[in-house]
Amino acid sequence: MSFTLKIKDKVEERELDGELTIKDLLDDLELSSETVVSKKNGEIVIDEEKIEDGDEIEFIQIIYGG
Amino acid sequence: MESCTKCGKPNVIIKRPASGQALCKDCFIESIEKKVKQTIKKENFLEKGDKVLVALSGGKDSVVTLEILNSYVERHIIELCAVTIDEGIAGYREEGVEIAKAHAKRLGIPHKVVSFKESFGIDLDEIMKMENHRGSCTYCGVFRRWIINRAAREFGATKIATGHNLDDEAQAILMNYLEGNTENLAKIGPKTESNSELFTVKIKPLREIPEKEIGLYALAKGLDIHLAGCPYAQQSFRMEISNILKELSKDHPTIMYSTLRGFDKISPAIRKQVAHDYEFDRCERCGEPSSNRLCRACTFLEELGH
Repeated sequence: MSFTLKIKDKVEERELDGELTIKDLLDDLELSSETVVSKKNGEIVIDEEKIEDGDEIEFIQIIYGG
Repeated sequence: MESCTKCGKPNVIIKRPASGQALCKDCFIESIEKKVKQTIKKENFLEKGDKVLVALSGGKDSVVTLEILNSYVERHIIELCAVTIDEGIAGYREEGVEIAKAHAKRLGIPHKVVSFKESFGIDLDEIMKMENHRGSCTYCGVFRRWIINRAAREFGATKIATGHNLDDEAQAILMNYLEGNTENLAKIGPKTESNSELFTVKIKPLREIPEKEIGLYALAKGLDIHLAGCPYAQQSFRMEISNILKELSKDHPTIMYSTLRGFDKISPAIRKQVAHDYEFDRCERCGEPSSNRLCRACTFLEELGH
């Protein structure tokens, strides 16, 4: 089981072991949901959304420091 | 699956801890537009016949400002025009300029792009290569205001709309309070007015919308926005304050709203106590309004040997 993760132009295939939510993945990548909008298969989703086999997850950073 | 607390549809795109709301895309878009229109009405930002200049960088805040103000154009209440400033930051600004041009064209809004180079004979990349510069943000803020004020007069604009959001306002309040900068505190507010007719009134239609929600609105509406961080952005006191507010907001989700509301209540007293009525004359070099012999932009340019 796996899913695709897209951040900017970087696309990678990741293993999916057991239950994983958007929030778990953001925490894992040390990203804050305060600065990122998450999409699952092209649709905007909330942090509690579950990631399933074959999903395409995209994180779009909308807030930059400075 | 969670459903929209307003219409009951599935596919929620935001949960607002401050209000307990969970909203679907359509209800979220509607809620933002309603809130901005409420702010515009409450603060008397717009009058029929106004010509509003939007400072349009191509980033989320300015694009959303343009988009929502355009609904007033569609209802024949106001006219819009836009200015985009090219600071001359290679590899960063070009995309924002193109996005800004495309939005102005799409909405049929008169638009001009003005560069630091054509206005001042030097761009930001060149300034940053010089020794003893004051830091990028100092020049950027002063030079951009100079260009925006001048563009407003050239367009015959009666108002200037900027994309300042709730985070920007709460940060400014806290920053200036903690620094004891009462002069700057007195200047914070929904409208910036001056006793000089050479300055156009500035309005902030998004000042009650959190920054994250502005980004979410732009993406939910499918608006093309420039998503990149300025390469000159540096660790600043504002960033430290921003981090503190974001951290506090996790357990106290209404903290930025209450900071703004509380400040707006005491702001008239602060102004009465500390604000000065500056006598404006014209800058000897460029003719822009200035309370000194030279305006800030020309003071900087002289320092830079330009």
